Amino acid sequence: MGRKGRMGISHSSSVTLGAPTYIFRIFSVFNVSTQLNSTRVAREMVKLCVLIAAVSLLPILCLSFSPENPTDRRVLVLLDDLSLKSSHSIFFNSIKSRGFDVDFKLADDPKLSLQRYGQYLYDALILFSPSTDRFGGSLDLAGVLDFVDSGHDLVLAADESASDLIRNIATECGVDFDEDSSAIVIDHKSFAVSETEGDHTLIVSDDFIQSDVILGSTKVEAPVLYKGIAHSVNAANSLVLKVLSASPSAYSANPSSKLSNPPLHSGSAISLVSVVQARNNARIMITGSLDMFSNRLLRSGVQKAGDSNKYSKSGNEQFVTELSRWVFHERGHLKAVNLRHHKVGETDEPAIYRINDDLEFSVEIYEWSGKSWEPYVANDVQVQFYMMSPYVLKTLSTDQKGLYHTSFKVPDVYGVFQFKVEYQRLGYTGLSLSKQIPVRPFRHNEYERFIPTAFPYYGASFTTMAGFFIFSIVYLYNK
Amino acid sequence: MLEDEDEVRRKKQRRGRIGMAGSLAGFLVLILAISICEAASIFQPISDSHRSAALDLFKPADGSFASLEETYEALRTFEILGINKKPDLSTATCGTVSKALGSSSSTPKDLFDALRVNSILKCNINAEVFEGIISRLQAAVSGASSLLDFYYSIGSLGLIKDQTSKADLHLSDAEGIFRSIKALSQSDGRWRYSSNNPESSTFAAGIALEALARVVSLASSEVDQSMIGTVKNDILKLFDSIEKYDDGAFYFDEKVVNVPEHSGPLSTSSSVVRGLTAFTTVATGSLNLPGDKILGLAKFFLSIGIPGDAKDFFNQIDSLACLESNRQGFHSTDPVTSIYSGFIDEERKLNGVSPYIGSVLICRLVKVNTVLGSKAPPLTVKLVRAYSTSSKDTSIIEDKELSFDPERVVYFLDALPDSVDVGSYIFVFKVVLHDSEHKDVFVTGTLTHVQIFMTGLVKIGNAEIVVLDNDLGSIETQRKLDLAGENAVSLSANHLQKLRLSFQLTTPRGSAFKPHQAFLKLRHETKVEHVFLVRNSGKKFEITLDFLGLVEKLFYLSGKYDIQLTVGDAVMENSLLSDIGYVELDLPEAPEKAPRPPPQVVDPYSRYGPKAEISHIFRAPEKRPPQELSLTFSGLILLPFIGFLIGLLRLGVNLKNFPTSSVPVAFAILFHVGIAAVLLLYVLFWLKVRLFTRFFHFANDYKSVGHFGSIHDIEDTEFLGSFLDVRWTQDPFTSGLSIIKVEICLRMKEFPLQERVVSIWTLCFKFCRTPFSKLY
Repeated sequence: MGRKGRMGISHSSSVTLGAPTYIFRIFSVFNVSTQLNSTRVAREMVKLCVLIAAVSLLPILCLSFSPENPTDRRVLVLLDDLSLKSSHSIFFNSIKSRGFDVDFKLADDPKLSLQRYGQYLYDALILFSPSTDRFGGSLDLAGVLDFVDSGHDLVLAADESASDLIRNIATECGVDFDEDSSAIVIDHKSFAVSETEGDHTLIVSDDFIQSDVILGSTKVEAPVLYKGIAHSVNAANSLVLKVLSASPSAYSANPSSKLSNPPLHSGSAISLVSVVQARNNARIMITGSLDMFSNRLLRSGVQKAGDSNKYSKSGNEQFVTELSRWVFHERGHLKAVNLRHHKVGETDEPAIYRINDDLEFSVEIYEWSGKSWEPYVANDVQVQFYMMSPYVLKTLSTDQKGLYHTSFKVPDVYGVFQFKVEYQRLGYTGLSLSKQIPVRPFRHNEYERFIPTAFPYYGASFTTMAGFFIFSIVYLYNK
Repeated sequence: MLEDEDEVRRKKQRRGRIGMAGSLAGFLVLILAISICEAASIFQPISDSHRSAALDLFKPADGSFASLEETYEALRTFEILGINKKPDLSTATCGTVSKALGSSSSTPKDLFDALRVNSILKCNINAEVFEGIISRLQAAVSGASSLLDFYYSIGSLGLIKDQTSKADLHLSDAEGIFRSIKALSQSDGRWRYSSNNPESSTFAAGIALEALARVVSLASSEVDQSMIGTVKNDILKLFDSIEKYDDGAFYFDEKVVNVPEHSGPLSTSSSVVRGLTAFTTVATGSLNLPGDKILGLAKFFLSIGIPGDAKDFFNQIDSLACLESNRQGFHSTDPVTSIYSGFIDEERKLNGVSPYIGSVLICRLVKVNTVLGSKAPPLTVKLVRAYSTSSKDTSIIEDKELSFDPERVVYFLDALPDSVDVGSYIFVFKVVLHDSEHKDVFVTGTLTHVQIFMTGLVKIGNAEIVVLDNDLGSIETQRKLDLAGENAVSLSANHLQKLRLSFQLTTPRGSAFKPHQAFLKLRHETKVEHVFLVRNSGKKFEITLDFLGLVEKLFYLSGKYDIQLTVGDAVMENSLLSDIGYVELDLPEAPEKAPRPPPQVVDPYSRYGPKAEISHIFRAPEKRPPQELSLTFSGLILLPFIGFLIGLLRLGVNLKNFPTSSVPVAFAILFHVGIAAVLLLYVLFWLKVRLFTRFFHFANDYKSVGHFGSIHDIEDTEFLGSFLDVRWTQDPFTSGLSIIKVEICLRMKEFPLQERVVSIWTLCFKFCRTPFSKLY
């Protein structure tokens, strides 16, 4: 695992396969069940059962993840020790209080299953089971990756006891945990002043990613307490982002033994918390500290060594809550609708444009706020008028209510063009829209007529014609 | 809470005098949780943070809790923690309590919860209400079959007895009930919920013990000692199944697979502890429970910290209270907590200053208190031995008694021997109780090992960086460094030279110091980093980078390398991260098969973001002469024509040859009108091209013609344009369209020949009838 991870082979690909498919398969399920029964009576019975099943499933289906309602609804938490439920209750309660349906299970629960009849039972998975060697039931590494590949979200927290399974999941997501299983992050410069921790493994970090969409618009004032293992993000994976980095003096090693080799991870290259925004809109958060979510660190005060600022509460609660909001699509999920274009002065969309036409283009972009679609306001949405390469690339102006519009002249090149809106921003789901439109040249009767420059030619023709007419008469009848 | 304890103690003493004089060999469970600057496992006693958390967790919604059970848990927690500022619930809750007690439909569980709440709130309940309940409960007890039925009904009876001081409230057939509860027990000490449920549970064992304790206390005559003895055996067996964490904490857990909600180790252990406490309070004789297991249980409850769930919080606090209040069979734990104190620095003997300033800090105050944070009985704390983690065999301190500071209630070590230097040490403490009576009551941990970090300022000196010539070892450039301050060294070297960095580290006591972290980092402009360990010989740290051997490792990347030195250790107060400067390396060109530098992570901020705008550059319109020039030339073009006319006049042309007879005249006129019409058509075409286009369009638009020349798309569904459109447009469909589409565009729909002829005739007919103006 580790070698493969370090070489950087094909990690990014696994999380980016396929587009999100949110099709409910209930009808196909029913068809199958009906086919199984041949007699009429049985069929009647099945119909009744189907009706009951449909009625009882209806509320569940209504609540589940859909493109129109992208926030997750059902969250599965896998634990390796049920006491985590209590020791990390603030985090879980904040998720529950936001309306999520949280289901706790032991990671080795023999009945564990993510899907039934080909349909996923959960929208998000929280893996708080670092020491699990293998999941119970039918779930395995491939199962977790398929879950993510189908557009679902994942939160993974590891610690010193991280098993190969957990490390493999992280590697597949573009994050490599330190191969040395006894190594943890140590920082002798930026550690938390504490009465009880003396080996500088409880570190503080305030090197956050600068992104309001990931961490919320309120700045995390107090630093975050962290105790756990280091990871690095795979350079070959362009989708993974470091959200919380270690300080330059940090390193990853076993605190109780002398170093014989330079540490594999050191300095700000150590990522403490990373996220992945996959192309299918699945979101993943990976961290090497399960303690970071614990009530103890959430409630604890924090003082960085050598810093006189003492905070009565660490930034952990705000940090993990805001990050979980992002992971569960309560923020930063965009949709674009009503892509329209027409000639200036008209309202209908034409089937074809002529070169040099003036056109108006508009698109509406909304952001999901967790409850409703709110207008998305930004000043960097761009449209491309594209044929093999962009002929026009223009920044759209917004009316602050979600409508983005611009106008431009169709280039004097004819062919089949596309309107393209490619919007990839840090932390936001990507938008990729395109609409094909042909552009034709002038018709022959659309060119300019009666050009003064041509008058001498016309004059010459017509005078010649008039002269011919007169000459023909004169020649014939002169005596 | 303290009053409570006293009461319990008095009760116990009374009972001791009455029947079981001196037979109880109890323990004081003394959790020695010393957390000096660092402890491997720290068990902080319940503190104020628990109190504030309790108020957060037990927040009644609209003045009352959802159920009486929750109300009891909240009230009990507040009571144990001695919280006075609790929300006022008595009026609303007492109403609920009396309603539950008065209602005939209340289940034994409702009654039990109501009575539990009442035991704390002491509501005004009518004695007749109790009478009615007693008879119902008595009946329920005798008809009970499952463990929970017994538990709730007997528990309720017990509570009524406590609340009403009814001395005559007895269970009629105490021994029989005792036996029927006991019948549910299993050979491993666990209990079943009912006789037809084969699964046994540890949680149920706790409930059963509590119920049995109630039965004993409600019995009219003394219960057979042999039966109590068997239950004690069960308890011991139950303790055989106790599980252990690495840090010495013990806990009970359910063995069954499908655990219901709220039955983790905490609730299970809590249930057992509650049952155990209740049972040992009523039972006579020693239980001989192993002290370390009781201690381990207390550690387990404390190690949870502050639970975030109200139920867990109650279980934790209630269990700790049980462990603390029970002074009988086994005993509560008194963790010894220590806090850091002063410095043994010669220059500044400061107290209370931030511990990270002094040169050598020694943590030597040891605080002893009980699990719930109250005072411990008189005792002595002994430092058995202290040794360095690196050399376990040589003790630095042996067998020393700590002094006691009665004002701050702490035990402290007066002086440290000079041999103690910075480093990590293990201190082994032992608690010795003064009073031999307490030895029966408290359980103390045997030996407590505490890891202590002695930190201090490490002197850094003789730092220098040198560029050496490879062959001779002669010094090319030499720079002194001040590692604590700012450095901005600029060096240059080629692959035939060496770079040497050296410095010295000395502890406050003057001996060599080897930090855990001593890295030299070279960072190339392209952000490729290389980390080297700096090794030492004695006090001197030195690293020599021989660039000739390193070229491959450096990926043959010439250019500027930033040098960064990191020295740090857990015991080093002045860990440093110093940017020394840079070295300009001149390395040879990379051979073809040289390893490439690994890809670096792209800065996320630059990866996203808007692109530069592109606007199309339109073809410039053709240059035209000024209009005046064109008009002038047009005028000039007319001149030959005018000259032609003047010439004709000059020649004196006439039309005398024009025929005179009628038929030739007609033909002559027709001939010339014909020529004029042709010429006029040319002029008209020039002036009114639209008219002609319109004509053909009309022909096409006309419905009755059918699909005359209409061209459809490949599926024959969408009308693309007419044949004429295609013809009149120079290039309507571009190279972007597939060749098939173009073919289809040019394909005419097939008609029977006859029909087409008819269509054309109809068209001509209709056209003739259309007013001319409409054609525009």
